[in-house]
Amino acid sequence: MAATLSNPIIKRILRIPPAYFVFAALLLVLVILRPHMMNANVMGIFIRQIVPLGILVLGQLLVMRVKSIDLSGGGIILLINYFISSGHFSGASLSFFSVLALLTGTLIGVVNGYLIAKRRVSAVIVTLAVSIILVGFVQFLSSGKPPGDVPTLFGDLYATKIGPVPSPVILWFFLSLAMWLFLSRTVFGRYVDSVGENTEAAHFAGVPVERTVWMAHALAGFIAAIAALVQTASIAVGSVRVGLDLPILAVAATILGGVVFGRGEGGVWGPFFGVLSFALLFVVMTTFSIDEPGKLIAQGLIILLAAIFYGVRAKQS
Amino acid sequence: MQTRLLKLLNAKTSRQGLWILPLLMAVAISAVLAIQTKEFAGTENLTNLVAQAMPLIITAIGQMFVIVIGGLDLSVGSVVSFTTAILALNAPAYVLIPAVFLCAALIGLTNGIVITRFNVHPIIATLARQYIVLGITRILRPVSGGTVPDLVIQSVKGSILGISMPMIWGVVVVLIAWKLLHASRFGLHLFAIGGGIASGTEDAARNFGVPVRRNIIFAYVACSCFAALAGVFLAGRIVSGDPNVGLLFELDAITAVAIGGTQLSGGIGSLHGTVIGALVLALLSNGMNLANVSPFIQTAVKGIILMMVVAFQSRKKIGL
Amino acid sequence: MANLIEMSRISKAFGGSKALDGVSLELLPGSVHALMGENGAGKSTLMKILAGVHQPDSGEIYKNGHKVSFANPREALDFGISTVFQELSLLPNLTVAENMFLGREPTKSFGQVDDSKMNAETAKALLDLGVQIAPETLVSELSIAQRQFVEIAHGIKTDARIFILDEPTAALNAADVEVLNRQIRRLRDEGKAIVYISHRMNEIFEICDMVTVLKDGKLVGTYEISEMTPDSLIAKMVGRELDDLFPPRCEVSGDVALEIKHFKISATSKPFSLHLQKGEIVALAGLEGQGQQKFLRSLIGRFHPFSGTVTINGQQLLLPVAPAGGVRQLQALGVGFIPEDRKDEGLFLNLAIAHNIDIGQHARKADFSIARNCKSIVDDAMASMNIKSAGPRAYVSSLSGGNQQKVLLGRYLSAKMDVLLIEEPTRGVDVGAKSEIYKLLRSFANAGGAVLVLSRETIELIGLCDRIYVMHGDTVVDEMAATKATELKILGAALAA
Repeated sequence: MAATLSNPIIKRILRIPPAYFVFAALLLVLVILRPHMMNANVMGIFIRQIVPLGILVLGQLLVMRVKSIDLSGGGIILLINYFISSGHFSGASLSFFSVLALLTGTLIGVVNGYLIAKRRVSAVIVTLAVSIILVGFVQFLSSGKPPGDVPTLFGDLYATKIGPVPSPVILWFFLSLAMWLFLSRTVFGRYVDSVGENTEAAHFAGVPVERTVWMAHALAGFIAAIAALVQTASIAVGSVRVGLDLPILAVAATILGGVVFGRGEGGVWGPFFGVLSFALLFVVMTTFSIDEPGKLIAQGLIILLAAIFYGVRAKQS
Repeated sequence: MQTRLLKLLNAKTSRQGLWILPLLMAVAISAVLAIQTKEFAGTENLTNLVAQAMPLIITAIGQMFVIVIGGLDLSVGSVVSFTTAILALNAPAYVLIPAVFLCAALIGLTNGIVITRFNVHPIIATLARQYIVLGITRILRPVSGGTVPDLVIQSVKGSILGISMPMIWGVVVVLIAWKLLHASRFGLHLFAIGGGIASGTEDAARNFGVPVRRNIIFAYVACSCFAALAGVFLAGRIVSGDPNVGLLFELDAITAVAIGGTQLSGGIGSLHGTVIGALVLALLSNGMNLANVSPFIQTAVKGIILMMVVAFQSRKKIGL
Repeated sequence: MANLIEMSRISKAFGGSKALDGVSLELLPGSVHALMGENGAGKSTLMKILAGVHQPDSGEIYKNGHKVSFANPREALDFGISTVFQELSLLPNLTVAENMFLGREPTKSFGQVDDSKMNAETAKALLDLGVQIAPETLVSELSIAQRQFVEIAHGIKTDARIFILDEPTAALNAADVEVLNRQIRRLRDEGKAIVYISHRMNEIFEICDMVTVLKDGKLVGTYEISEMTPDSLIAKMVGRELDDLFPPRCEVSGDVALEIKHFKISATSKPFSLHLQKGEIVALAGLEGQGQQKFLRSLIGRFHPFSGTVTINGQQLLLPVAPAGGVRQLQALGVGFIPEDRKDEGLFLNLAIAHNIDIGQHARKADFSIARNCKSIVDDAMASMNIKSAGPRAYVSSLSGGNQQKVLLGRYLSAKMDVLLIEEPTRGVDVGAKSEIYKLLRSFANAGGAVLVLSRETIELIGLCDRIYVMHGDTVVDEMAATKATELKILGAALAA
């Protein structure tokens, strides 16, 4: 096994994030077994459903690049959904909601970042705790029942299209592009690379390690807020369960896309295809009528296998 | 005597962590509850309290094994649910009970192997595992229902010689865990491995000739098996299988361990601290129940406690 | 006489650099065998192979003509090889007794660890060494010297036949060393073989019978200690012309770049002052661990000194420096700090050479500014430093040790710092690259830069620097011009203090 792994061609292939292979394989399955689904309208709708996840992944990949993790996205989405659907701010404008959402998300991200970077608390514990605190409060405020309706403007915007492509998908694409430019063209991107590769060396090279981790979490909170706005628009009603499984799916898609704690080979587009793989996976599962439990198992297996893939590879080098 | 007391209070001089503080917390909460509400000090409420706290105590003790080695097991909640689901399958007790522990051991074994052999971070390995086990549980039992064997139900009901069954469970579990953790070479080796990891010298224990990988795998097996034991207890109490009964259990367990003075970075901690930590949580929720606090707020309060407890544990590592 | 063990033609490489090249060593019963060589000569690697920590790339180990091999430390220990390593590897959260018995604890009838037996035997073993440490104490509570004694007690108490003592006296004072020597003589008289690694010449001549000298991973020879003198031994260890290796010095007449006054590393250490002029390279010499690193790292906030004033280019630096921002604070003042451990603290091994160099440029920019293209700077650095690689996009991990060190140095040279603080400029680097690094540092100084350097290799400091401060016991005990310095003089100054 060691011999095959050190073969240069195999090594090359191992460098490609698994997301691309999974995406290609699932696409092939659909093309062969369900050719009628292969048109822009159907696929557009399927991909549109996955946009909140796709946006959340942009934040997740950022924090995972600096060897951290953010599981608080579910709580943020729930809270923002509550703000919009509860009727406390009825009649408020779209921009008011957007600003409120982005401020909330960023604030939560800043708190996460403070505890993780400055107080050095385990990121899993902090962000999980933040998530259950937010979920607890939202469920309390709404007495465990769905709050109400979302202003129709959200749903209308969500349904718009530019050409054949739904506008949420375009939003996702441009946010990904922005993240890609941000990471590849700014000083902060270099800091992220450095901290992910070797925290200690980054410190001695003069990289502000704590600030980088903190900032990554603040940005992840901001991005989670955008995901929350899109998610809220997509379901058009208030909910006490919306988005709770998204953070873990985001972790799965990020790992699948070739970004594992500190290692950023997959860049932004690896996880992008990781998300698309999940979109196709859900389509495949639905068409073969595999329900909820099967999806859970598949998610778990994907995370586990992708992590083993990188673990074994890291051992080799 | 005075130096002994000082030693107990200074967490650094002791490998047991700061467990005096949660003990005082537990006493203080009990005192407040006893004064404020009549019901609290009643035998019925106290018996109930022990029974309610038991699943958490057992899971937290299991979690302790992996936290001592600087790991974490996020799959215990799903193992608890999974266990109740298996027990509610229509089969005799002598088949189901061994099956439960076999499955748990297998889950722990594979967790340990994935972590030690395939170099996967424990949090990722057990997070993935949580989803796989949850999925299987939902297939076995999509919604709560079924009945568990009579043996399981009887084992948590009533009392022997005036001691309630849950109390007997507690004593037996604590004895087993004490033996493993504080009175065997295995336990000492776990502390050694954790101490090495916490101080950044991962190879130290290996250089002493401690079989590190094997011990880590055993720790994850122990953790899963204790979770299964908690599942058996819980199944006896609710009499049926429930796919959601273990939801967020892993967080409660981690909170309990952390309250009890065990360092999440590894190497420092004690069994009695963990039991006290679980009792503090149980007392809080008992108190909040008596005060009619909404269950949603209770969840939030637990989250806040978890965050506060870990925020005061300092460590060098940044991130995960 | 039959040997206890024989290592034959052992070779071992780490990454690109060869740590050992065909080294043989034979250990006889009832002898104390010194292993000498400069730092990085391969002594520790050879001993780690004997102790089962590393496995050799080639070469064999024989016992009575039978081949043996150790896959891990446990197997070596079972064979009868016991080790006291120079790095402290005790577990801080276990007691002294638990550390002593870890891995082979005595148990009672129900499998519980027999604490009272462990404590009693530990107390006895420590008493034999002449130290009184309660066996129930946690190791985290012990001083460095006490930990060293526990390590020694752990190493020599086992019923082994071969004992490896790798710089056991680094943290011990003269009286403690005498206690240790008594134990070593006792073991020798019992017919055991002892390998003794130390840089203290007097210890070698006092206690050893044989000496094997290594140089750059190769065997120089094995000699009877009675045939040697300290000078002849040093000549065998060094054995190369200094003039070839080091660039010529220049006249120094610059302004003061760095001035330290009344600096106290700890509350009890003596205060000292030192200064560094533009255009000069100044050394902190002395035995290992005498405060050189603590002093240097207190300037970047990694160590909390007791008191003192630090002036850099006329600006005062407030002590203590913040641990999180210290490196950046100094960089803003034009001071670069190059850490000794290039793999863990210096380089990003799995990132491109270009990234490793240009991070020095980016670290001084605002977080959200556009990262300037540093291609020309990186190309210049790689060309002027003669870094051999497959190009700027190649990973640093693919380079040899010498080229890695040049990449690290290149980061700071291209960042146009005024002052460089360097720990170990050439650790684990081959001779050719050493010479190149010395030239680079000298031309940096000639261009008006100032360098403060510490190194375990005294010869290197003498050859490279203009002035030398000798440190001992967390303070400066002597100052001399490098042209007048010798290894013996420096050692003498350190030990006379």
